Amino acid sequence: MGIKEQTRPDEPVTFAVEQEMPPLAVSVGTSLANKTGSWRYLRPIYDPKKPPCNHACPAGNDIQGFIALITKKRFREAWELLRETNPFPAITGRVCHHPCELECNRRQFDEPLSIRLLERLAADEGYREGFRKPVIEKRAERVAIVGSGPAGLSCAHFLALKGYGVTVFEAEREPGGMLRLGIPAYRLPREVLDREILLIEQLGVEIKTGVQVGQDIQLEELNGYDAIFLATGLSKSRGLKIPGIEAEGILHGLDLLKSINLGEQVELGKRVAIIGGGNTAMDAARVALRLGTQPTIVYRRTRAEMPAIPDEIEAAEEEGIRFNFLAAPVEVITADGRMRGVRLVKMELGEPDESGRRRPIPVEGSEFEMEFDNLILAIGEQPDLSFLPQGTALSEGRVDGKIFAGGDVATGAGTVVEAIASGHRAAETIHRYLQGLPEPPVQEPVVVPFERINTDYFDHRPRVHGPVLAVPERIRNFDEVELGFTREQGLLEAERCFSCGTCDQCDNCITYCPDVAISRDGDDYEVNYDYCKGCGICAQECPRGVIDLVEEER
Amino acid sequence: MATEVETKAKIEAGRKVITGNYAVSYGAALSRAQVISAYPITPQTTIVELLADFCAEGILDAKFIKVESEHSAMASCIGASAAGARAFTATSAQGLALMHEVLHWAAGARLPIVLAEVNRAMAPPWSIWTDQNDSLAQRDTGWLQYYCESNQETLDTVIQAYKVAERVSLPTMLVLDAFFLSHTSEAVEIPEQALVDRYLPPYRPKFKLDIDDPRAFGGITMPGEYMEFRYKMERAMEEALEVAREADLEYRERFGRGYGLVEPYMLDGAEIALVTSGTVTSTSRLVIRELRAQGVPVGLLKIRLFRPFPTPEVRRYLSGVKKIAVIDRNIGFGQGGIFAQEVKSALYNYGLNGGPRPPLFGFIAGLGGRDITPELIKEIVEYTSTHDRPEEEIIWMGVK
Repeated sequence: MGIKEQTRPDEPVTFAVEQEMPPLAVSVGTSLANKTGSWRYLRPIYDPKKPPCNHACPAGNDIQGFIALITKKRFREAWELLRETNPFPAITGRVCHHPCELECNRRQFDEPLSIRLLERLAADEGYREGFRKPVIEKRAERVAIVGSGPAGLSCAHFLALKGYGVTVFEAEREPGGMLRLGIPAYRLPREVLDREILLIEQLGVEIKTGVQVGQDIQLEELNGYDAIFLATGLSKSRGLKIPGIEAEGILHGLDLLKSINLGEQVELGKRVAIIGGGNTAMDAARVALRLGTQPTIVYRRTRAEMPAIPDEIEAAEEEGIRFNFLAAPVEVITADGRMRGVRLVKMELGEPDESGRRRPIPVEGSEFEMEFDNLILAIGEQPDLSFLPQGTALSEGRVDGKIFAGGDVATGAGTVVEAIASGHRAAETIHRYLQGLPEPPVQEPVVVPFERINTDYFDHRPRVHGPVLAVPERIRNFDEVELGFTREQGLLEAERCFSCGTCDQCDNCITYCPDVAISRDGDDYEVNYDYCKGCGICAQECPRGVIDLVEEER
Repeated sequence: MATEVETKAKIEAGRKVITGNYAVSYGAALSRAQVISAYPITPQTTIVELLADFCAEGILDAKFIKVESEHSAMASCIGASAAGARAFTATSAQGLALMHEVLHWAAGARLPIVLAEVNRAMAPPWSIWTDQNDSLAQRDTGWLQYYCESNQETLDTVIQAYKVAERVSLPTMLVLDAFFLSHTSEAVEIPEQALVDRYLPPYRPKFKLDIDDPRAFGGITMPGEYMEFRYKMERAMEEALEVAREADLEYRERFGRGYGLVEPYMLDGAEIALVTSGTVTSTSRLVIRELRAQGVPVGLLKIRLFRPFPTPEVRRYLSGVKKIAVIDRNIGFGQGGIFAQEVKSALYNYGLNGGPRPPLFGFIAGLGGRDITPELIKEIVEYTSTHDRPEEEIIWMGVK
């Protein structure tokens, strides 16, 4: 700087004449001599944490990660990142019950991110950019999988990636299980389903359709495989034991969905009652509506207790489906073997039952009749275990010897993403079993709470809503109701992500460090603890809770 | 850095009808201020509102820092200026008072920050209207102070202020009357950016914060050295007088407009000289024209630069008059109008050396935004011409 320098560090500098002095009081020595790090009693550390969305995803999707890639318009990489934990992002991007959105920290700021639609965008746009088949090193071991639903195919996918030879046995004539039979095309177009199944087949997975284990072949015949994974789902509909239930005009919701989804004709009358409050009931009602009927959903509790995913309930309401809450059928009114109506009883809610929901109790003397042409039962599904030795119960994981189980058949009724997760876990378990590997230690992740987000850095901005078909346009056909985000909408929505707990190299820490003690090397930051005073400004100004302050030990 | 930056849009040159506050904003934008930090206060707010718009629209490539107080606004400017950026802020009254501590820091650290100060009366009692006590209370902080008469002068003075401040390494305040200028629209010539760029080159500080050569600024200084830094500041202030003269002359050459450090008006042959600052000047010009036509020998000296005080100019222009009447829109409690004191002080030793030392009448008028009307100014002239010397040191005009 051209200022008179110190000769010895401990010697104060004096000036003989005023002209020697700088115009302002600037130190003659470097301020680096003053190691202010010695003042520190709190130490900032970079400690990335888990975003609540990632934590809430049953499949363990890196949601923050794929959204960050969308913001950089790297759609294919976003898709590939999703596929690391979920082979069906285009499917879950359409039908997932998205527990991630429930936990999104943004919910406490304005509205949660529209994660499901972003997943759909990543999957559709990524696919459009082209599938890059991973290089797989083949292994000798072969695995049989019974059931080609989301659990079975997810397991097949992850085993195939590890190099195992995989054969999937499917009783129906097309693969997909409940994805194909249970979910109507207006929620999940067939070409999307076919596309994602095909990608699994491209990994070398063989799917044998029309082969029902226990009927066409016996379970023992699969003993030549090194491991067997049972993922047969819940294929049997629960029945209702009331007088008149055998009459003509009564059918199961699942059977209705299956027939329609396989392209078969179903004749229904004008007035249709659907009994139940789950996803099958909603889909059955919406399918019945599209077949030209006037459906009424009859549910014994209230809307709040309905187990169906809220999106589905809302869509049904939007489409004008009638709901009759706090009512349960007690008798089918018949004439000449054909149903003419239903006798119902009014219910009231009592104490919570084992499901945590309030138990419905019939109100005495409140019975009433309603005229219906059809009654659709959608009161739950059960596993069909007839192919197993009598009395065998399945739970997730290793069942016996080389037999493993997963998905709904092992866990009870769940959602698509839960089945995918179960299949993934099974693939890992089978891999460890086949290779004799130990279980990895379980690590409890640190999840970022809303309080760690510095909201000063974010503007309030409403959630972007994806376009949908108008009600009159959609209730006459099976066209997909949701149209998904455009790229522009997706980019706009992705930018709303707080990126909780994950550094996105915003450099705020560098900007605000009063001691210039933070530097960046590529994507990584380094704190120079010689000069870091431990003021904590970096942690405070980190918008996303990445930096922690820990007590200094010395 | 300024001229190297390609901004997306440009300030449109040409004649525009704008308020005094907007004139300040245009001046700051044309000066390519790189960091703007301010806290809103009536009547200053619209200055930084427009600058914020300029930043948002990409017309001005500057960092706009929102802060929670004027103290922080000045602190931000100090940091920015110490890092070598051209910094700008604006405030009024209580806001300026809150800055007081850091005003000293800016000057002591020799940082050429420019501050637009809209004169507003100090509270209590609460007022939003104009008088000069807020800015004059900062007289001894080491800041240059310009008092502006018109919107055009306001715009031009912002640009000149950076020129002078950066040359002498001292911060500069330009002062304009609340509402009479700040919220009154006039036709203003907005100069071409390229022309301003040639007049005002990018700021290249001699010393700045540099992470590759870290130094402590403003650290403790022993009694053996402190006084020299003050001496240097005062020398810089003195130097600023000549630098300001040159800056104004160069401005006149390049833009066709100049104002001087003081401006005489019809002083030739005048026996009474009114001394004014700010918008009172314009009203006084009108009165003087009228009175001169009636044969009253009155002229005017407008003081534009208050710090450093243009003593040579004041002596030169006031030496030929018989009486001086200073109109102060301020009150230095216990001593009277501050401009009156300054003029007296400039003439005292001049008189000892044989120079003229005419009687000086100190009038206080228009505090808290009260109108100083032509009639009031005529009364001031009347009082001055009918008295050999003032009956009181402070002559209050228009007190009920």
